[in-house]
Amino acid sequence: MSEKLALIWPEFLLFMTTCVVMLTGQWPNASVRRLTPWLCAIGLIAAGGASMMAPPGDGLFPGLMGYSKLLTAGIGLMMLPLLVGTVDRKVERLAAEGVPFQPIRSNGAEFYAFFLFSLTGLMLVSSADDLIWLFLALELTSLPTYIMVTISTQGTRSQEAGIKYFFLGALGAAIFLYGFALLYGAAGSTDIPEIAAHFQANGVGSIGLLGILISLVGVAFKVAAVPMHFYTPDVYQGAASPVSAMLAFVPKAAGFLAIFMIAGVAGWGEDGRLPAEVDALLWIMAALTMTVGNVLALLQSSVKRMMAYSSVAHSGYMLVGVLAGPGIAGADAPFWQNGLAAVLFYLLCYGVMNLGVFGVLASLERRGEEADEIDDIRGLCKTVPHLGWVMVICSLSLLGFPPLLGFIGKIGLFTAGVSSNNIPLVLILGLNSAIAAFYYLRLVGAVYFEPASDTGFRASPYGSRHFASLLSAAGVILLLFVGNGLIKSADNASRPDSPTSEAAPPETDYRAGDDLHAGHG
Amino acid sequence: MIAQTLSGTFLQPTLAMAPDVPAGIGTGPKWVLLIPFLAALAACLNGVYAAMGNKTRLPAWTTVALLAVSFFATLAMAMGFDGNAYTVKAFDWIQVHGESASFIANFSFYVDTLTIYWMLFVTGLATLIALYASEYMNHDLGVSYCRFFAAFGLFVFSMACLVMGDNLVMLYLGWEGVGLCSYLLIGYFYKKPEAVAAAKKAFIVNRVGDLGLALGLYLAYVHFGTVEYSVLFSDEKLLAYVEAAKVGAFDQIPAMAQWIALLLMVGAFGKSAQFPLYVWLPDAMEGPTPVSALIHAATMVTAGVYLIARFYPVFLISEHALPIVAWIGTITAFLAATIGMAQFDIKRIMAYSTVSQLGYMFAGLGVLTPTGGAYHVLTHAFFKALLFLCCGAVMHGFAGQLDLRKLSGIRRVPGWGIVSLGMLVGCLNLAGVPFTAGYFSKDTILAEAFVTPGASMIGWILLLTAGMTAYYTFRVFFRVFVGPTHYEAGDDHHDHDDDHAHGEEHHHDAGEHGDHHADGFHPHAPGWAINTVLAVLTVASLAATGLYFVGGSKDLGYKTKHYADTMVSASTASYHSPYSAHAFHDDHHGDDDHSGDHADDAHKALAGVGPRGAIDEPLMLFGKDPHKVMYYVSGIVGAIGIALAWVFHYAGRKTAGECRMDGVARLFGPIPRWAENKWYVDELYDAIIRIPLRVASHLMHWFDKLVVDGLVNLAGMMPRVFGWFVRPSQSGVLQGYAAGMVGGVAILLVVIVLAVRLGGGS
Repeated sequence: MSEKLALIWPEFLLFMTTCVVMLTGQWPNASVRRLTPWLCAIGLIAAGGASMMAPPGDGLFPGLMGYSKLLTAGIGLMMLPLLVGTVDRKVERLAAEGVPFQPIRSNGAEFYAFFLFSLTGLMLVSSADDLIWLFLALELTSLPTYIMVTISTQGTRSQEAGIKYFFLGALGAAIFLYGFALLYGAAGSTDIPEIAAHFQANGVGSIGLLGILISLVGVAFKVAAVPMHFYTPDVYQGAASPVSAMLAFVPKAAGFLAIFMIAGVAGWGEDGRLPAEVDALLWIMAALTMTVGNVLALLQSSVKRMMAYSSVAHSGYMLVGVLAGPGIAGADAPFWQNGLAAVLFYLLCYGVMNLGVFGVLASLERRGEEADEIDDIRGLCKTVPHLGWVMVICSLSLLGFPPLLGFIGKIGLFTAGVSSNNIPLVLILGLNSAIAAFYYLRLVGAVYFEPASDTGFRASPYGSRHFASLLSAAGVILLLFVGNGLIKSADNASRPDSPTSEAAPPETDYRAGDDLHAGHG
Repeated sequence: MIAQTLSGTFLQPTLAMAPDVPAGIGTGPKWVLLIPFLAALAACLNGVYAAMGNKTRLPAWTTVALLAVSFFATLAMAMGFDGNAYTVKAFDWIQVHGESASFIANFSFYVDTLTIYWMLFVTGLATLIALYASEYMNHDLGVSYCRFFAAFGLFVFSMACLVMGDNLVMLYLGWEGVGLCSYLLIGYFYKKPEAVAAAKKAFIVNRVGDLGLALGLYLAYVHFGTVEYSVLFSDEKLLAYVEAAKVGAFDQIPAMAQWIALLLMVGAFGKSAQFPLYVWLPDAMEGPTPVSALIHAATMVTAGVYLIARFYPVFLISEHALPIVAWIGTITAFLAATIGMAQFDIKRIMAYSTVSQLGYMFAGLGVLTPTGGAYHVLTHAFFKALLFLCCGAVMHGFAGQLDLRKLSGIRRVPGWGIVSLGMLVGCLNLAGVPFTAGYFSKDTILAEAFVTPGASMIGWILLLTAGMTAYYTFRVFFRVFVGPTHYEAGDDHHDHDDDHAHGEEHHHDAGEHGDHHADGFHPHAPGWAINTVLAVLTVASLAATGLYFVGGSKDLGYKTKHYADTMVSASTASYHSPYSAHAFHDDHHGDDDHSGDHADDAHKALAGVGPRGAIDEPLMLFGKDPHKVMYYVSGIVGAIGIALAWVFHYAGRKTAGECRMDGVARLFGPIPRWAENKWYVDELYDAIIRIPLRVASHLMHWFDKLVVDGLVNLAGMMPRVFGWFVRPSQSGVLQGYAAGMVGGVAILLVVIVLAVRLGGGS
């Protein structure tokens, strides 16, 4: 039991922080309330540190936990400065004017606490070795985000978004819970390694297969893959930009970790392919997801909706990596054949670069309202140069423009796809990257080339949001220098049960990247 | 300054090492890295100054100071050199390890005598010319001034990479780097269309050569498995080929190995402006004069000579490479001299003269005297830099006037003494007047051409060219510097801003130019920086003569005759033609065993000459030692050239514009006009290369616009059409979304079951 506890020290630390944050967030004294984000930062740094020291787990991917938890803590730390100023503006303004603070009207405590809860859930997903644990962890990731979306703005749009998100999320959860139940029925166990072993010994069988397929489609809700993608634009647009940035990363990461495990139950066989049905499902989903995402993103005039569809498309890209699996030769495959490593690394890239775009939107305000339309950011390089450049760098990186981070990430997906002989899918991936260039370059063109159109948006008074945006752009460039180490550690993290690589969690290189965030946190 | 420092101990290097590079190469002291990186630092600092909007002469002083330190580091490197080549690694650069082979190109520098020899004059001249430019460029203080010196520093860094690099990739890096800097500096006056056109021309013509160099690099790697000098030049295969080549057994050398030299040669032709790729260099004079002096006369254009000298073993093993080099050099020397004789722009005359002298250097390499080639590089670097800087001073002082028909008797204008004296010394050197440095270095090449079998034709052409050189050189001197004093201002006098075309303000003192518009034009004499540099270079050009008499060494196992010979012979360029063995040993026939060995190295030198056995008798020219004969012959030829110039351009000349030559020229019919128009080579290139390319590109453009773009636009429409089709599903209605999700799941599962389970037949 104590060994199991050692595995979840990071979650435990985050949970303790959450408890403290719930109190400080509604402390009567304003200076204590202002401490709340700093406490979150301390908790995240502590959790990140603990995850570096965590022993390898006993799930399907023993090395997965270290990488995923550090990734969670790192990206969480980058998001934190962006979240500042999302809720409680009115309450704080009144408090500053001398009106007594009313905890009942404040949302600060919940907001930060739910943020940490969600990250805790994401960390728990990575350490799940049981279907029930996995389900609970996935829901712990998602449930707080429903509320965060709802309270993120004062308007009714975020409430509508929150309701939609909640009901559709519940539907998605119902679907994958049904799949989990079928898996239990087929294998007689909820323990994931045991199910995998059972399937390996006795074959997957019809019920098991149905379980896997339904679970995958259900979890696809978390990553916003077709056909479970419908909610994304409405929710992303309804929520405040900082929350949208979080939605684009946290549930997606949880979803992909869950997909790893469910696909891992079916197993990438000797030839490196999933069972034909699972393979076909992921193939269709990947192709449709990226195409639908990119095509619909083309038509948007709202940057947030565009980014929502781009988030869908990126999920499609990453599904290519899942399909490729850990490489044909298993543990001996070179890292560039390892599709799972490519996904893990791409999650990191996506988390960093996506943050920048939402960060820019969140850093522009007009009477408390955030920028959304593409008109609002025209000529930004001239009016607010630092935000404009962040937008340019991050958009180019999302597009996969060499030599930025997104390019390095996409290379991994391409090489993994090619080495697993999914040539048609890789071609679709290439075509989609070309389509995506259209709307990302529209962003670049709007901020850099076009003349400023004064729509009344000014730089936000919350300096930490600018800081988060700049951090994201800096990450896009600076992480390149440690990219090799990051890819290697992602490779080690995604090796299915290889006893050697797990022993020394390869975080040494990753730490450099984390310091980058942690240093400023 | 140079002369004094050259008398240091390194004139007698102790050359313990054999001419062949030893197998093990040590590492040298790290401070050698200062030489390139100080120049790079200068470039970076100037970039910072530009960003800070510096409007003082700080960039110039920074550059001069850093380059001076770099020069002294080079001196220290030279003095500390103990005869063993070594490498100094800055950092690991490219390392690709394969199973059977690996590709290693580190950012690392190779130091042997050839490197030292080259770097001494590169850094020395760079320092002096930077000092000169500090004054010359002062009308441009501000961002442009910083830009100039940034490119200047970058150039020296690139040149150092080129010369000091320990592998072909470093050489290529430097090669492209100097090409870039050359482009940037030719196009320095970027608002002037001619300058931009010249910059583009230089860059594009060089690309042709660079392709050859790149292919040569690949082939060298493919054949020898390495691009590192320390490995390549001690490669057993290469040494075996060299032995085979010495006995004329070229059929034992694979064609691939022979192609390496032919490809590298193309690169050298481009960078060193050899026929047919010489056309860019005369136009490159659009750049500021210090640039012409440093890059396009003294250093960068000798990179081709360096390349061939450095890879001399590789060239030796190629049956046709050296003969081609010799002939191309000769043709270039002659052709450029004919054009130079008919030009009126003094800077342009110097440019053609540079092309012509580079031709001499190539001819020297081709007729098996790398020493002669390298010695001529050194002497030419000094006197041609001097000549250019003198022309630049004239241009600077006379408001851009360069037409020799509008300048006369400058010697007598107050304040132009040093310029005139420098010009005279430079002209004497270029004309090859006896006992000047240019005389000795040119003679070495001429004499070797006459004794090398099959190359006597080359010798005769080069001799004729020497006479022409003397003529056109002194044509400039007699027209511009002596005779009745008369001058007209250049275009800059009337509209300064248009000509320099900067949009930047000119910082001329009222006192200096205050009387511009009063009663005509008053040239302003060069200031202390220009005069100092000219004086130093004048002394250095004279002192270079001394190098012909000192620095010989016996440490190599045979006697080397002078400093340049020693430095070249101790490097990878080491080669002593069997035909000239006696020339180096004329007094030691009896007691020098080695001369016999060398004579045994029968070498099938030039195409059409069969393998030769041992040379029983020393080769003679008119029954005498060829070098001694050449002293007299070329001296006489030079004197004739100067006399002709005196008669036609000085004697009896009353005005700047008219002289006896005008009448004589008419006797030749249209030929002088053709020569003045550069034999219409540019027009020919236009007709056979540029116009067909233009036509083709227009055709391609329309094809692209009509057909390809049409298809692309059609394809671009598809996603949008698809998007419009799919969009209604995003209605925003919750129930619709839920139905969509569940429906999607159902469809997916059905498709999977139908397609895989049933369709697969399992």
